[in-house]
Amino acid sequence: MKRQFKFPFWLRRIFLFFTIIGPGLITASADNDAPGIATYSISGAKYGYGFLWIIVLITVGEVLVQEMAARMGAVTGKGTADLIRERFGVRTSAFAMACLLLANIGTTLAQFAGVAAVGELFGISRFLTVPLAGLLIGLIILRGNYKNIETVLLILCLSAFSYVITVFVIKPDWGIILKEALTPTIKLESDYLLAVLAVIGTTITPWGIFYLQASIADKGTDLKDYNHTRLDVVFGSVWGNIISAFIIITTAATLYPKGILVNSAEEAAMALSPLAGSFSSILFSVGMLGASLLAVSVLPLSTTYAMCEAFGFERGLNRPVKEAPVFYSIFVGIMVISMLFVLIPGIPLFRIMLLSQSVNAILLPVILLLVLSLANDRNIMGEWTNKRFANVLGYALTGLIFLATIALLVGMFLPAA
Amino acid sequence: MIYLSQLIDQKVWDGFGHVVGKIDDIMVNATEKSAPPLSALVLKGAPENKTMIDAQSIASLWPSVTLKTDITKLVPYTPKGHELLLKQRVLDQQIVDTEGKRLVRVNDLQIARKGEQFFLTGVDASANGLLRRLGLEKVGKSIARTFKKEAKTHVIPWEFVASIEHDDPLRLSVSQSRLVQMPPADIAAILDNLDSHTSKALLQGFPNEELADTLEQSSQEVQQAVLSHLHPERAADVLEEMDPDEAADILADMDDQTSERLLTLMEDDDAEEVRTLLGYPETSSGGIMTTEFAWVPYTYNVEQALTHLRSSEEALEDEFMYYVYLLDEQERLKGVVSLRDLVTAPLDQPLSKWIDDDIAQVTPLTPQEEAAYLVAKYDLMALPVVEPESKKMIGIVTVDDALDTVLPTAWKKKLPRFSGK
Repeated sequence: MKRQFKFPFWLRRIFLFFTIIGPGLITASADNDAPGIATYSISGAKYGYGFLWIIVLITVGEVLVQEMAARMGAVTGKGTADLIRERFGVRTSAFAMACLLLANIGTTLAQFAGVAAVGELFGISRFLTVPLAGLLIGLIILRGNYKNIETVLLILCLSAFSYVITVFVIKPDWGIILKEALTPTIKLESDYLLAVLAVIGTTITPWGIFYLQASIADKGTDLKDYNHTRLDVVFGSVWGNIISAFIIITTAATLYPKGILVNSAEEAAMALSPLAGSFSSILFSVGMLGASLLAVSVLPLSTTYAMCEAFGFERGLNRPVKEAPVFYSIFVGIMVISMLFVLIPGIPLFRIMLLSQSVNAILLPVILLLVLSLANDRNIMGEWTNKRFANVLGYALTGLIFLATIALLVGMFLPAA
Repeated sequence: MIYLSQLIDQKVWDGFGHVVGKIDDIMVNATEKSAPPLSALVLKGAPENKTMIDAQSIASLWPSVTLKTDITKLVPYTPKGHELLLKQRVLDQQIVDTEGKRLVRVNDLQIARKGEQFFLTGVDASANGLLRRLGLEKVGKSIARTFKKEAKTHVIPWEFVASIEHDDPLRLSVSQSRLVQMPPADIAAILDNLDSHTSKALLQGFPNEELADTLEQSSQEVQQAVLSHLHPERAADVLEEMDPDEAADILADMDDQTSERLLTLMEDDDAEEVRTLLGYPETSSGGIMTTEFAWVPYTYNVEQALTHLRSSEEALEDEFMYYVYLLDEQERLKGVVSLRDLVTAPLDQPLSKWIDDDIAQVTPLTPQEEAAYLVAKYDLMALPVVEPESKKMIGIVTVDDALDTVLPTAWKKKLPRFSGK
């Protein structure tokens, strides 16, 4: 007979809290996944407070993009992939899905890189940790009873809070921080541009758009309550970015002055030493592991759903493999490719995490342009089309990412110029 | 066979070899249910009064689109209100294949010629259709050949297609009549994959009984979404049609105010049964039992029992009737007989043969796991539930409901969700 495991009361209260808070807030908190933490740590350590203004800019961008996705979900009740297919046809869908797949495989492998990095911090080989993590999460998903596990992972992610506490332990000069956050500085170096793109790409993600829209559509939110949803999304985005800013402040205050560059989990964890001393690597690992596993439990599956939705393949975990072969193939494919990539001997884990997020940003304009076009379509959105303000900002953001990409490519191919 | 994707953007030539324009869309007469005839070509880049051309004047569609007459003699088509635009309204949308009983996406549309007329014959939902749209049909075929398989184009005949677009009441009602005939479990599976707006619109027009059957098989999300958008009077009617234990489960998931309101709107005896069930914890035998079961007075003989069962409302509502329970005047459990044994016994045999003091049974508060254990141990199809004080039999736990604990329902859930219910 199966005995059900019961959590203690106080723990269940916390779970309850997590089931009540909305998808917007959670999507945004999950933005601080393994590649997210890595990207912010690398950037903060290398460029100091000078990177903060980008976070301010991105916060505006993320609020804008996530709000559009949420609004589309609430108005149409459909997923982003559905709308793209129905409005733009097969060719455009195929292109958009290829971009989504590439971006999401990149982000998934970055999560496995996170797992590998944590393992290696404790001297455990990635050939053990990565397949183990993949197998564990894969089985949990395929068996479908991952609700409790998910909550546990979310709680592990709370250790990202330690960055906030660390900042208050270090007591940095808030005047300088504020000044740097509001004065844009740009360097035309390819490493800098890669980092800028990575920070954009880890915050405003194609999968974030698809996931948020799908979860709001699934909830069947009433348009009368849309103001609540909007508030949840805005608050969530801002919250996620506050945490990101604190990671940058921490690394900028601890690692940047010493000239320590973050190339491994060991160096990244050092940023937490003012708070946790010799326990900093444990604290760092808990957060990183929770974030990676949480993202692995959501990302490949939501990508698979989006793709099957766009092309009309049978989908759903409640279907046997024989009835939905494409669905299971895509899912397993994403998992296996991501794991194998991380197992390539000698691949630099932190560098890969950063680069995967730059790729995300480079692919983002494709999705952004489609989303902007959908959100302005009267046939789809009725009276809920974008306000002019949102359009100006949306296209500006797309243009900015595009320009940064061009600058990066020019810098890479014309190093002498 | 001609496909819509091969016609879109094709040049249209008149009888004298002049280009009139390019095909932008094709209209069919939507009132025809099995194979709608083409009614007009919608052109782009054509002179102003020639943007819609009557399908009567088409000479051929393949290999090139030619018209019978000279451009100056073309009579423009005037829409009559029953037209359906294929590219705009059908291509790339989701539809239900009522033959294959699944939700598919329209990758392409098949058009066929019969005599002088052209007809829309079916929907191509196969991967071949996708490849054709991408211009990769040949690549697909050669890949299939290397795997020694044939790339099959599966076309669903138009008469088996149910459109689910919720802003088109006319077509939706046609679809509903097709969908209603599908097994409830298949409809439920389709609903689970549909967006909430569409599934609501689709079910609005279902008859109460079919709607109740479908909802019983649906996921909790669909149940709640659909019921919350029905008029309360109708929601109560639908709940009456459901098994009381299913209705109780659904009401238990609603907030107290809503469920109380629906209960007051329900017929008194239905509501009372549901209220009793609602009183038991969800994971107890009382929470999963059904109150509809077949029973006969224990003093009867076989013939009387069979006659009684034919006219007993409770027996008729017993979904499976694996067993017939023998009760006394106070509705206390005296014995049990399988329907098979009852039917095969001589008519004059008294039921006392099956009276037994030691019947496997549970109380309403027995945990679900224990009920499952008993069902498995004694190889039963259903287990009687008996009130401990009055010894009254109040319901049965069927094997499928009992085993839900051992095979958790959670694995049936689909999308990973961080939040919500």
